[in-house]
Order: sequence, then structure tokens, then C-alpha cells
Amino acid sequence: MNMLRRFFVYVMIFTLAVTTVACGSSSDQVGSSTNYSASRTSTAIPNRLSNGQYPVQQATYNDADGEYTLMLLNTKPGDSSAYRTTDLQMAQLTDEEISKGQKNYLKLENDQASMHIEKDFKIDYVHNVTEEKSNPQTGQTERVIVRQESSFWSPFAGALAGQAIGSLLFRPQYYVPPIYQSGGIFGFGGYGRTYNQSVNIYQERYNAPPAAVRNRQTVRSTGNLRTPYTQRPTTSTQRRTTGTTGFGLTRDRSTGSGYGTNTLRRSSSPRYRQPSSNSFGTSSRSRQPSRSSFGSSSRRRR
Amino acid sequence: MDSLGDRFNQMTGKTRFVVCRLFLHLAGKEVAPLLGVLNSAARDAIDADGDIQVFGEGLAEICQSLLQYDVYWQSVANEGDVFWDEGEAGDFVEELFTDSAQRYHSGIEVEGLEDPNDVLSIPITQNLIVMLTVAYEGDVPALQTDLSNISALKTALKELINLHYQDRLRAVQVHFSPAQLGDELTSDQLLLHFPELIPL
Repeated sequence: MNMLRRFFVYVMIFTLAVTTVACGSSSDQVGSSTNYSASRTSTAIPNRLSNGQYPVQQATYNDADGEYTLMLLNTKPGDSSAYRTTDLQMAQLTDEEISKGQKNYLKLENDQASMHIEKDFKIDYVHNVTEEKSNPQTGQTERVIVRQESSFWSPFAGALAGQAIGSLLFRPQYYVPPIYQSGGIFGFGGYGRTYNQSVNIYQERYNAPPAAVRNRQTVRSTGNLRTPYTQRPTTSTQRRTTGTTGFGLTRDRSTGSGYGTNTLRRSSSPRYRQPSSNSFGTSSRSRQPSRSSFGSSSRRRR
Repeated sequence: MDSLGDRFNQMTGKTRFVVCRLFLHLAGKEVAPLLGVLNSAARDAIDADGDIQVFGEGLAEICQSLLQYDVYWQSVANEGDVFWDEGEAGDFVEELFTDSAQRYHSGIEVEGLEDPNDVLSIPITQNLIVMLTVAYEGDVPALQTDLSNISALKTALKELINLHYQDRLRAVQVHFSPAQLGDELTSDQLLLHFPELIPL
């Protein structure tokens, strides 16, 4: 009897603990939804800074890849004073903080960086003028940087900022700079609790993605899709698929075309991809039940 | 074990990326008009220079046409994977593009010497294969299963259209073979380069 009672107590403790953890985490979901961008933005140079607050001396934004470079003070000896990230939240310093004499600072907390700056703080803005050029070798159009211009960006200055979101300015959020103008940019093009949200707002306003996002998009195509239609050979004069070409070569593949766009970030350091059990597809049943392999193709992917 | 990790990632609010690829093989002389749909969507997409909206519209249009040609569906294959890391998903998308592209001939055409006996007619292809690859955020159970039956495939194609209108697409790829009217894809070539196809 005593045994049973003790067992019952343990079970109850366990259940209570589990439900507490579960509830705590799920309520946290909204708040931590911003965190995913921390994981997806892997910066090229690892920043080895411990959590804490660092005074910001200077900030630079490069619109080619959306990277911020912050020059920090009071970093530990041995740590670099430059902090580079594409994943930076910003907030305006509150009046209280200013009255206390708080200067611009960067707050690092659990890999999440937020920069708290004064209203008239100027971020150096490096604008990359790009041009579409067709590569004569491949015939594909590429976006190349022709020259760089420098300007500044004051996210919290200007009428736009104050009206739009009011007190939300004091909470760290993601901001996307507005369209580039020489001679200084004020306000912001988009804001949001996640990076994607801020990009979406920018896109609604300007009907085009921000430069940093546009530069990330890659378009690939195969076949003769890029050749203007009028320049293509007319098909009526040729039989291209009957198995042989004019040179008597056997054709083992048919013709085809393909195109694709990819707006996902690429991993900066290619890793050995761990096969996952999350994969799905038609042929997973036909092969041995190894959890790593999936898909209908017999092509072996490690 | 891994689903526990999934649950944990979900709880911590990470974004889930799914990359999936769908092969659909249509057979019959009547499928050739689809080439027109595919090519016009391709031209729009190329002109749009990577705008995911335009690519998505093209994809929706293609799925719509495929759904209308359901009588000609012959075989199908699909594969995919779920990622918690955007970089890995992006790499996988590129990998799939390369793999899809090597299944057909896309290089410079070696123009054949004209055969004087050539009749002025175009061969009509008996087979057409469409490869759709998408990456999206979140979870769409209808796409992440075995699609080797007609009703599952129909639902999946509808889901693909929905994904576009829900703005959840992050990458879109469309490949098709043959490239245009007048080219042929023979059954042998199909067997050779698309061994994974499963008859419906």
C-alpha cells in the first residue's frame, strides 16, 4: 500500500514537471520566434564575444549582403573589437536611459544581438551599385557590383519612424533600410519581429525586395531558355530526337529545360549533411529501412 | 528519438524548412500542349529575374495544368527532406537542381545535317516529364508523404498551389523534358534517366 502511494506521488511529480515545462515553452513560442533568424544567419567570421553590453563606437551596414559591422569598445583582451553580423535587432534608447547617461550600446544575449542607439545615430551605409551584365562565356546574366557609394542611415530619425510604431521603437526589432538615396537615408523601409517580417513590409512598400535579399536570390536555368525565342532554330527543319544527331552520335537524353530560384541562405561552411529521419518520398519503402536514406531515386546520397 | 528533437525545435520556435521534389511523367500524344504552358511559365520566370512571386505564379499555373491532364498521368516519384537549418536547406535545393538538370540534354544543340527525305512534320512526343522542386517553410503533410497514388498526388499538387498563395515558398524549380514541341522523349530515355518512377 505504502509502495503504491509512493509510486503515485512520483507519477504526479513527474506529470506536473512535464506539463510545467511544456506550458512554459509553448507560451515562449511567440517571443522566441525571432530566434530562428539567429540560427539561420551564420556569419562568415565567427564572433567570439561573450554575452554582455558593449558600447558601440561605429556601425556600418553593407547593402550587398545586409551585413552590419560594429566597432565595439570594452571588449575583452584577445577578442576582436569588430562585430560582424547579418542578424541584428535595433532599438532606440529610451529617455530614461539617456537621462542616466547611457550611450549607444550593443547587447548580446544568447547569440541574439541588439543594438540600442540614440535617435540621431548614423550608421555608415555602403551602397553597392549593381548592374546586370551578361557573361559572354556562359551567356547567363549576372549581377555585378560596379562601384560602391557611401552614405549614412539613421533608422530612428525622420517623421516616418515616430508615427508608425510609436513606443515599439524602444523594443529591439529588425529593421531594413529604405531605398537608397545619396546624401543620407532616414527612417526605415521595413520593421518586424523577425527578419522576414521586416523584408515583407519593405516589399509591400516598394514592390521589390531589399538589396540584401535581392542579391541573395540566385536564378539558375538550363536549356535554351535564355535565348530569345526568335533566335531559336525552327523545329520543323530538324528531327532532333530520333536517336541520332547529324554526326551519327546516339542521343541518350532527350532535350529539356529547367529554371529555378532560391531565396534561402546558403550555408557559409558546407557541412557533412547528416541524413535525417525526416525525409519522405516514394521509394523509402523499396529500400532497406535505414533511416538515413529516402526518396525514390537510386542515386546514393550519403 | 529524432521526433523528440523535432518537437524540441518546434518548441523553441525554430523555422522548419522542407525541400521536396516531385517527378511526374505523363504519357500520350495529347500531352504536348503542356509544353506551351511550361515554356511560357519559364519565359515569364526568366524575365522576372528571380522574383519568387513570379516563379510561384508559374508553378501554380503548371500545377493547375497538370491537374487538368490527370488522365495522362503515368508514373510518379517524389522525395524530400526536412531541415531546421536554412543553410542546409539552401544547399540541398542547389543539389537537387544539379541532379534534375543532368537528366536531360541541355547543352548546345548539335544541329543535324538535314536529311533530304525529311518530311515537313514534327514528331509529337509520347512522353513528358515534369520535375518540380520547392522549398517552403512550415509543415504540409500532404506533400511530405508517399505520393504514388492518384488521390495523394492530386492533393499534393493543390497544396503546391496553396503554398504560393500563402507566401510560404522560398525556392522554386521547374524542369521539364522534352524542351519544346518537336522534341521527343522516348520510353527508353525515360527508363534510363528516371529509374525511380513508380507507375500509378
